[in-house]
Amino acid sequence: MDPTNLQTVGLLIDILAAAILVTAFLVVSSRSLVFYIRLFALQSFFLGAVALLVVLGYGETHILIAAVLTIAIKAIAIPVVLSRVIERIHVRKEVDFSINIPASLLLCGGMVILADSVAHSILGAQRADAPAVSRVLSVSIAMMLIGLFIMTTRKKAITQIVGLLTMENGVFLSGLSITYGMPLIVEVGIFFDILVAVLILGVFIFRINKTFESISIDSLRGLRE
Amino acid sequence: MSGAPAIVILSLLQLLLLLASAPLISGIIAKTKARFQHRQGAGILQPYFDLAKLLRKEVLVSPVASWVFRSTPYLVFASTLVIALLVPTVVVPVPLDWVGDIITVIYLFALGRFFVALAGLDTGSAFGGLGASREMSIASIIEPAMMLAIFTAAVTAGSTNLSVIVATLSSTPASMLNPAHLLAFSGLFIVTMAETGRVPVDNPDTHLELTMIHEAMILEYSGRYLAFIEWSSQMKLAIFLALLSNMFFPLGMATTLAPWALCVGCAAFFAKVIVLAAIVAVVESTNAKLRLFRVPELLMVAFILSLLALILYFIVGA
Repeated sequence: MDPTNLQTVGLLIDILAAAILVTAFLVVSSRSLVFYIRLFALQSFFLGAVALLVVLGYGETHILIAAVLTIAIKAIAIPVVLSRVIERIHVRKEVDFSINIPASLLLCGGMVILADSVAHSILGAQRADAPAVSRVLSVSIAMMLIGLFIMTTRKKAITQIVGLLTMENGVFLSGLSITYGMPLIVEVGIFFDILVAVLILGVFIFRINKTFESISIDSLRGLRE
Repeated sequence: MSGAPAIVILSLLQLLLLLASAPLISGIIAKTKARFQHRQGAGILQPYFDLAKLLRKEVLVSPVASWVFRSTPYLVFASTLVIALLVPTVVVPVPLDWVGDIITVIYLFALGRFFVALAGLDTGSAFGGLGASREMSIASIIEPAMMLAIFTAAVTAGSTNLSVIVATLSSTPASMLNPAHLLAFSGLFIVTMAETGRVPVDNPDTHLELTMIHEAMILEYSGRYLAFIEWSSQMKLAIFLALLSNMFFPLGMATTLAPWALCVGCAAFFAKVIVLAAIVAVVESTNAKLRLFRVPELLMVAFILSLLALILYFIVGA
């Protein structure tokens, strides 16, 4: 592929990576569970688009299946399942936070800086002539940190799932950025793992809600007869 | 055309352009909002009639008001006029670009805001104090977000001079799509909504006691004082829209003083500002005003977007 096209692909990947990072921050900044799910769908869609661009720009056709699966499972199937769970349990807002929103946003901003310095030391000297997609490594590390942060500071079980999925998106993105994606068999394994996990967690949330009349994980601290 | 007379003429023309078009921009936003609410709405020239009416009316000043109250409208208007001379609108470089850079612009706005807040406190009315305290607490969160967004543009251009920023960007059009650039733009857009008192933060249309910010501070003003303050707020909006469009998308700006280039520049300026004004109206119509305690969250999003922009500039490069 000629250099100008490659440059365009690089620019598009940069924009999509920025958009992915922004969706992760919007999850941190909002309260509505429905909005979380929509943002996650959008994030996965952008992730699928990055994978498709890697196929187009670098000729790595083995990612094609993973890209299609990303869009089909993460951007469509999982959000549909989660929306139905939300509809059935009638919980729409995340109300209790361990850390309030402005402070969480600032902490996540700090995490991006941390992620960038880590990515710098991983990529080291080859940074200058590495392909555009490797610049995304800092974004992917930041996504893993933000996902973990969402899981530790939010108390609703749905939000915990969104945090987990954000981390998973980060892992997929880092795979893309370093080695143009993991081997297909690993990717497919992860996809089904995630899909089944979300299905089971969905049922689980429903049961938690029925037993405790809330999906706040605080209720899970004590054992019940 | 060069030398001192040219600088004076060009600067005056630029000043007149912003002075004359500012009420029109507010009129367009008000009309668009009215159409969204299925109302006919006042004509887009209504702000001009309002200003003319206010200028003719008698000024009533509270007997306890001091010189701060009387001088504030002129101070605010004058500082806005100076900013209007510094911001690139149609032609770049701005004739007076050596007078001050973007940081001067930010702090001239802060000067105006400081005096409006003082004047709000000056008459001793409860609403004035309420508005002043709200305005200053919000301003303290807006300022870092605005600084970071603007620094992203400044770092890209390697200068804080507005004309240099605009000229550098128009010579490399590809960098307009840089993600850092787009994020800084969205950060500055939220800042604009907050800074000019638009809907998610403040409502410019009503004097609703409990929620007003800007209107509460200027509640005691009447006649030509009110006219000057209103006109300055309209110009502030026009200047912010000009900054947003020219610092981030300087398409079509005139770089020479040829008549044709100036015409294209004028048309491009109005097209961009009207598009942005329409976006402002859409955002205002589709969002509810935030509770005051939620405003810091929105502004923190603007701050984080600007911070991300600056970080991405170093991750991705210009």
